[in-house]
Amino acid sequence: MCLGLFTGSVDKLTAAGIILGGAAANDMKVDIYVLLQGARAFRKDIGDNPDKLQMSENPAMKEEFLQSLKNLKVKTWVEFFKEAREIADVKIHICGLAGKIWGAEKLEDFIDIADDICGISAYITSAQEADVNLFI
Amino acid sequence: MTPEELKNANVVKTVDARGTACPGPLLEAKKAIGTIKAGDIMEVLSADEGTKVDIPKWCTKQGHEYLGTLEESGYFKIYLRKK
Repeated sequence: MCLGLFTGSVDKLTAAGIILGGAAANDMKVDIYVLLQGARAFRKDIGDNPDKLQMSENPAMKEEFLQSLKNLKVKTWVEFFKEAREIADVKIHICGLAGKIWGAEKLEDFIDIADDICGISAYITSAQEADVNLFI
Repeated sequence: MTPEELKNANVVKTVDARGTACPGPLLEAKKAIGTIKAGDIMEVLSADEGTKVDIPKWCTKQGHEYLGTLEESGYFKIYLRKK
């Protein structure tokens, strides 16, 4: 599976995490390409801090959404990504340009689950080879 | 298996995933299946309605044998045999 992760919206990141969990449980090999807003969310100082993430489609519902996740004991998006990486062959690639846009140039600037920094060609060839393609 | 057979099944591993939401029970099952032998029976306890559909589908994909589901009060017991 190849996932283009463009979003920096906390609900979509959560959805991506849940989908990733399902893929990992089914032993799918997953390559995630973190693009634009996604690269900002992956910054070490942002990640799991919901105060620094927006909810793009329905901002007014953000607090209610986060509270509901808490009540239902749903993991945070970063926890989902971490767990999927432990279970299956999941690789996380950060778009180099996206990182630069948000002031993060080195791999150490991102949360410790990022595998490498790459360019667009890596994403496109991976997308061409994958049997499942998602763009979130 | 019939409900009676499921109740008497020789379960070697119980995965209590009642405290987790989707896809928690599936991930717990995935982790636990590696700890049992081929032919062993495992039960997954889940309070998440979706797990009733997810686990049988997962079994088909992975080659495990889905044995059936018992409904308890407020949760499900889902049985499978490792391939």
